[in-house]
Amino acid sequence: MPDPIIRLDDLKLTLPSAAGEVNILRGLSLTVEEGEAVGLVGPSGSGKSTLLMVLAGLEQPTSGGVHVAGQDMGTMNEDGLALFRRDHVGIVFQSFHLVPTMTALENVAVPMELAGRADAFQRAEEELKMVGLSHRLTHYPGQLSGGEQQRVALARAVAGDPQILLADEPTGNLDGTTGDQIIELMFDLHDKRGTTLVLITHDTHLAEACDRVVRLKDGLIDSIEPGRRASKRTAAQ
Amino acid sequence: MSGHNPPLSLALTFARRELRGGLKGFRVFLACLTLGVAAIAAVGSVSSALVEGLSQEGQTILGGDVDFRLVHREAGEEELQFISQGADVSQSAEMRAMAASPKTDQRTLVELKAVDALYPLYGVIALSPAMDFAAALERREGVWGTAVEPALIDRLGVDVGDMLKVGDIDVQIRSIIEREPDRVAGGFALGPRLFLSDDAMVETGLIRLGSLVNYHYRVRLPEDRRLNADVAAWVEGVRTQFPDAGWRIQDRSDSAPGVRRFVERVALFLTLVGLTALVVGGVGVGNAVNSYLDTKREVIATFKCIGAPGGFIFNVYLIQVMALALVGVAMGLVLGGITPFLVQWAIEDMLPIPARFALYPAPLVLAAGYGVLAALAFAIWPLARAREISATGLFRDLVAPTRALPRVGYIVAMVVALLALAGLAIGLADRADFAFWFIVGALLSFVILRFTATGLMALARRAPRFKSPELRLALSNLHRPGAATASVVLSLGLGLTLLVTISLIDGNLSQQINGELPDRAPSFFFVDIGPDQVEGFEAIVNGTEGVRALNRVPMLRGRVMSVSGVAAKDITPSPDVAWMLQGDRGITYAAELPAGSDLVQGEWWDATTDGGSLISLTEEMAQGFDINLGDEITVNVLGRNITAIVANTRNVDWGNVGINFIFVFSPAALQGAPHTNLATLVMDETGELDLQRAVSKAYPNITIVRVKEALEAVNKLLEDFAMAVRATSVVTLASGIIVLAGAMAAGHRRRVYDAVILKVLGATRRKILKAYIWEYALLGLGTALVAALAGTISAWLVITQVMEAPWSFLPVTLGVTVVAATLVTVSLGLIGTWNALSAKAAPVLRAQ
Repeated sequence: MPDPIIRLDDLKLTLPSAAGEVNILRGLSLTVEEGEAVGLVGPSGSGKSTLLMVLAGLEQPTSGGVHVAGQDMGTMNEDGLALFRRDHVGIVFQSFHLVPTMTALENVAVPMELAGRADAFQRAEEELKMVGLSHRLTHYPGQLSGGEQQRVALARAVAGDPQILLADEPTGNLDGTTGDQIIELMFDLHDKRGTTLVLITHDTHLAEACDRVVRLKDGLIDSIEPGRRASKRTAAQ
Repeated sequence: MSGHNPPLSLALTFARRELRGGLKGFRVFLACLTLGVAAIAAVGSVSSALVEGLSQEGQTILGGDVDFRLVHREAGEEELQFISQGADVSQSAEMRAMAASPKTDQRTLVELKAVDALYPLYGVIALSPAMDFAAALERREGVWGTAVEPALIDRLGVDVGDMLKVGDIDVQIRSIIEREPDRVAGGFALGPRLFLSDDAMVETGLIRLGSLVNYHYRVRLPEDRRLNADVAAWVEGVRTQFPDAGWRIQDRSDSAPGVRRFVERVALFLTLVGLTALVVGGVGVGNAVNSYLDTKREVIATFKCIGAPGGFIFNVYLIQVMALALVGVAMGLVLGGITPFLVQWAIEDMLPIPARFALYPAPLVLAAGYGVLAALAFAIWPLARAREISATGLFRDLVAPTRALPRVGYIVAMVVALLALAGLAIGLADRADFAFWFIVGALLSFVILRFTATGLMALARRAPRFKSPELRLALSNLHRPGAATASVVLSLGLGLTLLVTISLIDGNLSQQINGELPDRAPSFFFVDIGPDQVEGFEAIVNGTEGVRALNRVPMLRGRVMSVSGVAAKDITPSPDVAWMLQGDRGITYAAELPAGSDLVQGEWWDATTDGGSLISLTEEMAQGFDINLGDEITVNVLGRNITAIVANTRNVDWGNVGINFIFVFSPAALQGAPHTNLATLVMDETGELDLQRAVSKAYPNITIVRVKEALEAVNKLLEDFAMAVRATSVVTLASGIIVLAGAMAAGHRRRVYDAVILKVLGATRRKILKAYIWEYALLGLGTALVAALAGTISAWLVITQVMEAPWSFLPVTLGVTVVAATLVTVSLGLIGTWNALSAKAAPVLRAQ
């Protein structure tokens, strides 16, 4: 059996604050198999975003093991983690976070340019075509609707063929219809490429669309339940 | 996993894309750099134009390719024959004398110049009414003519056509001098110029044995021997032929060394002021970069999330900042480069020295170098901190602090850039020590001001809770995160410190010249009193009412030829005393220790028993030349070398403005030499003009320097100079005000938000305005007080340690500075705040 693509062992993370130390993650252990779609739910302050940041290498745990895509994250320095993200992780944010002075095409090409790929723009064009924005290549984020911006962000996240896609409330700033379109696109890409998906959401219904739903509470895993996707797979098998 | 860092070309690509966002927020950045670079470029270009003019017009300024000057004596036949071989030689005699108007009965000291038919060898003398120069001076119907400077016309109340009495003759004013081509080389003048022909001079009877006359022999070499190298070789030949002639030789390559040194010193000072303006501007640069990067936090965090290493992010923004810096530098160079042409258009005719107005690349390159280094030095810190911006801010909806210090490598790079800036200024200065201390002073002021800002914020934090809510709000605004306190204090403070320093130095010098000096100085100096005139002169003086003290000493002129057997040209004394070897010096002999002197080493001679040639010199000179008791000094007096043994050294109180000499010989050394006498007289002011008239009528050859008039001339010069220097310090202040405006503008969004929230909570605009006035007044007052203190200390150091003059505290000057600075800060702050007060609440609240 192949190793899980994500393995967290007794993960603890404490952050200083004006009121004293705050235990954000309090001994969390989790494994995620390659190609799996995991929904992370929980109330505000449960540690969902922090967990995502640990997976992305943007936060270092106070203690515990973090292994992602076969790499021990605890042994990497800051630049090493950046390069790791470039090569293995795609991130979709709630607020899109496109670079306002770059066109849609340039925004999608950025991770591949950073990786030194000669075909960065060609690949970017293909990805934008895949998300239905081939007519918006030269538009700046300010000229795109919210849904279009999030599609560009999605294209940017997957253009480098990452093993892991992290999505932090990707539909939080979108209306219902647009949000559904984004989710459909995201799952479609996940299915086609076999990318491991970790999705933070307040929407329980959306979380249940994944293979598993991991509920966090007070920095610990409260429960892990199978999602509709896993049930469908089991049924298919 | 690919481990390579993205190449610089990619950083350039990203930088270009980022700059599409426009240059909003960089106006202050560009203004600060442009002003500082323009100031340095302008100073360098104008001084290059002046120095080049001195160099190119050397022969005109000097009056010849070479100038030989002898004091007291004319050149011997052999000497004249030698320098005249194959060359044209124009002879002139220059001295100070008195000119009187029979019409108005006024008299004045003049700079008398008697010339031959060949004068001027180079250049043209411009007269009004225009006429042939020889015609202006020739004898007509038994009367010699003269050409005079306009100042003489004003002082004596005369006009063209009127008569003047000069020595024993009457001369007629035929023309007014508009331009004398070699005036500058003559140095500082105590009176207006008066020209006579050489034959007229003889008839004046002013030239007597021992009279202080400068004889000039200006030489025009054949055209094929006028290259600087040829001239230098020819001069060397003359020196070899006449090693003991005792003449001062100047050639066209450095025709007015005193003027050139003055231009270079002033240029150095002004460049340093410009550099200070650039450093102050650097604060604005740092602020602008900080503000820009603040708006880019999200983008930087995004780049980090999608895999950009920190070093790459630093490069992307460094490229943007330096590209804009080059734009600012270029604008500064354009402004600075055209300044010489503006000066030419505005004041070329008023300049006392010729100038070659052109584009001079060297000062522009230097200014560009300063600008780039300054931009780099002040941009590195905010750029390095931007590298540390946490990407976690994209996930958490809170302020992700980046208070961490930049990495050591960047701090080192910043320090290296600052050192390079200082090193460039010091390395290229002709007075490296001056440049070094100036920079140390600026740096110390910077550090003190930084601590002041921190201190102000700490004080505001610990201030008691005042009843007035506006004052409480103002105090909290001083120390809240993101407050502009540090920027305001630094930007305004440095320029103010410089202004206070210069104003206090100027004030103290004026006080000396106008206040204390007249009390200590004698009323008159009488020069060239012949030995046969002493009795009659003293009779006139003693017969005048109000006379309090008369002091008379013998006076000669001499030139140092060697010290301890080493020829003067081979000696390298310390810079402070090097002037002693440049030209002739006044010397005297005395049986007793002169008043105002204290012995430091050795014993004073007993004139009745010591028959040898002994010399006393000032302790400062002895140390500067490394002379010890028993060493020999050779001085050329009236063509004769006198060698004397150092018997003692003295400290002299120059401040008493009495008669003092650096070299005092024993009577045995010089008593037999032909000489005149120098006298000082202290008397009541009421009788001064009558005495001057009486002495001048009886002895027209005696030069009378009324100290009151001389001090007025010096004071005028100092005032003009101080005004020019103060004007340049305004450049630093202007730079500070731009930075201040930028700091205010940067906080504008915050001000708008604060004002809206306060309005929502029920505060009237009047109350909010009052709070802002308090805030800016506290800032301005705090800054001004520290600047006043720092400026006072700096001025005290310069006056007491460098100039060794007494110090006076000038509260009015300081008070004016403090009040003005506070008003400026309040005004600028209110200009920025006015808009904030007018902002409508709803759009602001919706945008949050």
